[in-house]
Amino acid sequence: MAVLECKALTKNYGHTAALDGVDFIIEPGRIVGLLGPNGSGKTTLIKLANGLLTPTSGEILVCGIAPGKESHALVSYLPERTSIPTWMTTNQLLDFYQDFYADFRRDAAEEMLQHLNIQPKQQIKQMSKGTREKVQLIVTMSRAAKLYLLDEPIGGVDPATRDYILSTIIGNYDPEAAVVISTHLISDVEKVLDDVIFINQGRVMLQSSVDQIREEKGMSVDELFREVFKC
Amino acid sequence: MLRKLLKHEFRATGRIMLPLYLILLATSIGANFSTRGLLETDLKVLDLLGGLLVMAFAVAIIAVCVMSMVVMVQRFYKNLLQDEGYVMMTLPVSVHQQVWSKLIVSAVWFALTIVMVCLAGLIMAVDIDILEGIGEVFHEIFQHVTAYYALNGTAIAAEFLVVCFLGCCAMCLHFYTALAIGHSFSGHKMAWSVAWYFIIQFAVQFVGGMLVVLLDESWLHHLLLGWTDSWKISGMAAVHFGMCVLIVGELVYGAVFYLLTTYFLKRRLNLE
Repeated sequence: MAVLECKALTKNYGHTAALDGVDFIIEPGRIVGLLGPNGSGKTTLIKLANGLLTPTSGEILVCGIAPGKESHALVSYLPERTSIPTWMTTNQLLDFYQDFYADFRRDAAEEMLQHLNIQPKQQIKQMSKGTREKVQLIVTMSRAAKLYLLDEPIGGVDPATRDYILSTIIGNYDPEAAVVISTHLISDVEKVLDDVIFINQGRVMLQSSVDQIREEKGMSVDELFREVFKC
Repeated sequence: MLRKLLKHEFRATGRIMLPLYLILLATSIGANFSTRGLLETDLKVLDLLGGLLVMAFAVAIIAVCVMSMVVMVQRFYKNLLQDEGYVMMTLPVSVHQQVWSKLIVSAVWFALTIVMVCLAGLIMAVDIDILEGIGEVFHEIFQHVTAYYALNGTAIAAEFLVVCFLGCCAMCLHFYTALAIGHSFSGHKMAWSVAWYFIIQFAVQFVGGMLVVLLDESWLHHLLLGWTDSWKISGMAAVHFGMCVLIVGELVYGAVFYLLTTYFLKRRLNLE
């Protein structure tokens, strides 16, 4: 069964279409790059999959069910901004995730936090912006979810942190699950992707596997992206 | 899941409210020292200290009351409609559970605030003649009320408490509704929330006023008058009836806000 499916999905903000009749299917076991320039509709799509927005028309299904309480238990979501409650200590945050998600692997989270020398009793608001983002990524990737939706996980961080984030994603996702990484920093994520979806002005321009692009077009995803979205 | 939401909600709000209660109790002890002697000494320093301690007590009472309101609004706004909303609104819980957790915790803090202010007042007045005086006055009032109205004094007190509790819940839901509607707009969300608060307030007052005008001398008015005449309903029974009408009215009032809040959070959520 498809992990994420969009059927003629449309989302309007007033008279502006953020998504316009989007159709695609994401199968389990794939790492998919949702690629597009700023304002192309990537974040809107991810918010719709999380039930943070309601479609204007069409349908979006997560493991065959509409976004809601049940689908939230299957999706691990990393928002584009730091959203974890900053008054909590790291330990309290782990308690929080453990309470609400049956698939939360506390031991994995603690191991990653220890690796980064993050103190369990330190308040999140006392941490640097980069460390907060890492903590948020760690709790997101410590779940054994069916679908990981990562919105701009490497935006605004230094190259060393980017490598850490990508290795954390690769090293922690369940191979039976699908990972969707939304970004416009193609060259950094290309090496980890199985498939790509190009999105622009709310429409899907291309859905293909990375191998197919390399074989058929004879270019990297980054080169193809630059060609497709040339200004 | 509601239990887990409540646990974390109490943890989030308790770190603000509990230290405030401790400060309130500490200032009440200070105010007690003042009223027991500091204010009546010839030493200007002690006199000044006594004045400051009483003032600190008054400020602490105001701060605790204001903060219980601020925490109620801020938790809903920051935890569900701001950045933390990305985490909270993607938890495997329903919107109803989210709203109930906020409502229950706010109501508990309101009730606890009243208890703590009363307790602080008692501490401030302990060992002072006025406390015994106040105690006697309350005892006498209760005895008279009970003697005059048979046992209905207790019932009226209970009904009054229910009315107050439901009024607090309805007030919270009024704020939640305004915030939920205001934050469904794409821009100026807080300004829209404030505007909606007053629009709702105006609408409620208008509807309430119209009901009073329209029901005066209406068939319902005459029906009620007929009942009191034919069934010889006592004044006390009429008061109970009035209280029950008030309770049902507040339940309806709160239910409308609850439905609006959950609808806007479910269907029109617009986190940015």
